[in-house]
Amino acid sequence: MDKKFTNVLISLVVVLALFAVVMFVLGAKAPAEGALFNFSVDQASVVSRFVFVVIGIAIAFGVYFATQANKAWEIGTREVVWMAIGAALYAVFSWLFNGTVFVVPSLSQVSLRPAIAIPMFFGFAFGPVVGFFTGAVGNMFGDALTGFGLSPQWSIGNGLIGFVSGMWMLFSDKKKSMDTVLYVSGALAVITALLYFLNRTQANMLFFDPANNIFGDSQISLFAGIAILIGFALVFAVRYFFKNEDVATAVTWGMLGNIVGLLFASLSDMVINGFSLPAAIVGEFLPAAGPNLIFAAILVPMLVVAYTATRRQSGR
Amino acid sequence: MLVAWRYRKRENSFIQSFDPRAWVIFYVCCLVSTLSFWDVRFLLPFLVIAMFVLLTSGVKWHEIRRAFLFIVGFVFFFAVLTFLTGRGGTEVYKQEHLIREFRASFSILGWTPVLKVTVERAFFAVSQLVRVTSIAVMTILIPYSLNPAYYGITFKGLGLPDKFAYAMDLTMRFIPTFGRDFQLTMDAQRARGYELEKISGGIIAQVRKLGPIFVPVTIHAIIGSEDIIDAMDLRAFGVGPRTWLDVLTYQTRDRVLIAVGVLILSASIVIGFMGFGAFWVPEYLIKIFS
Repeated sequence: MDKKFTNVLISLVVVLALFAVVMFVLGAKAPAEGALFNFSVDQASVVSRFVFVVIGIAIAFGVYFATQANKAWEIGTREVVWMAIGAALYAVFSWLFNGTVFVVPSLSQVSLRPAIAIPMFFGFAFGPVVGFFTGAVGNMFGDALTGFGLSPQWSIGNGLIGFVSGMWMLFSDKKKSMDTVLYVSGALAVITALLYFLNRTQANMLFFDPANNIFGDSQISLFAGIAILIGFALVFAVRYFFKNEDVATAVTWGMLGNIVGLLFASLSDMVINGFSLPAAIVGEFLPAAGPNLIFAAILVPMLVVAYTATRRQSGR
Repeated sequence: MLVAWRYRKRENSFIQSFDPRAWVIFYVCCLVSTLSFWDVRFLLPFLVIAMFVLLTSGVKWHEIRRAFLFIVGFVFFFAVLTFLTGRGGTEVYKQEHLIREFRASFSILGWTPVLKVTVERAFFAVSQLVRVTSIAVMTILIPYSLNPAYYGITFKGLGLPDKFAYAMDLTMRFIPTFGRDFQLTMDAQRARGYELEKISGGIIAQVRKLGPIFVPVTIHAIIGSEDIIDAMDLRAFGVGPRTWLDVLTYQTRDRVLIAVGVLILSASIVIGFMGFGAFWVPEYLIKIFS
């Protein structure tokens, strides 16, 4: 078993090194006039997308490697079925709520993606592997159902949301780890929100409103900019005012997952699409992550409470 | 109860005559290649491939009509909007060459609708239409042409471990079922006076009102999973290395299809690296209208 993992790791490293050479050594130079190969990152976008898929999987793999002995990594029959259910639910919900089938009301430039509660809840309830599969595969099938292309790095970003949501199982001291998570997420929320205040003219690239002639180019609204702070405040409130420890764990870790997963996806767009840091953070990360946190704080507790009740009832 | 995709065996189907693994590999190669181009000259071959696959798939029009009209209509709608407004394409072209400007004879609150038809806008809209249509057509066909009995062995054959291959299999089977469950729950809640279309209030109130849809569908799925888990456990799932009921073997034609797919993909990547394939407008049109 160990030999297999070493092999996988070695091939990952080799692939990464190869792409690093192509992208950073060859990509840094401006192509000479009439050169046969043009390795500027813009041209290599298909390849660089897949590099980020490898990086994302490597992150998950690294965490797994460091905590291999933990019970959270066991995959039995139940986990296999839960993975499938989570991914299918996430695909169906994101398809139905993406604005083409049901028009979910949107508020002040923020499109609501309630489906995001699914990978967070499945990660929390059934562990990081189930969470990762739910997010990554569910997002992939959801995109396929809509008939649009694929952004594999966003699928992996979604996978990381579920993955991190399940990582609470890896820590023996739940309270302490939860507080650390809260501080880290709080710091990240404040830093990204600060970036917003420094770049208020940045366009909200995730907001499309064809009826009003807006194609991801209207200036980001104040609400979309500070939604992440509102979301953080909500999570904070859930953590300290509700005495239910399960709910608190689910919401706090879901928040960190949301921040980590979407940061991963939007930062990867810096390389893939050549966005600047403010464009990636303020234009993409904030309008996605902020509202997601609001869902994390409201829908995830509902699911956790309902699930606990069902479990008590059925005795499983 | 599971709802199935509309697969059936089709004798005269071109894509169904291949090994599902070969077909999936070919699909992924085409998908990735299409995504690496914005040049309509390079995109057209992919539309031709997609159309060929569609017309030889043996899927009857009445089977595919709803899904097809929905997706193609949606794609067309967005292409028209791109054309009318010219937004969305500004990342790939800097300069526009005006063909004709239509100015409305009326104005609404001091705003006069102006439609600027430029060479770049028109070509961007066409490129977008071709690009997304070819992807969409190939994608719609998958559930119609992939035998559900082969889902698991297909993913296993593509290199996934047993458990993940089986999870992918179940995912594909659950999607139509949960779609139906969602609709049922929606109807049941509507009968109780719930209105998704009329959600009002602040953002928190709006999100809370999604609960009556979200929670029952999710919890129902989790409870329902117990039956499937029991059935799998009773058949000793995951105890030893798995064998599959159906065995897939590559024939010569499957190898050819994979080779063609890989060839298309590597050619696309090389072309991309050589700097071709970015958004393109014919030179002579620019000359005429500049």
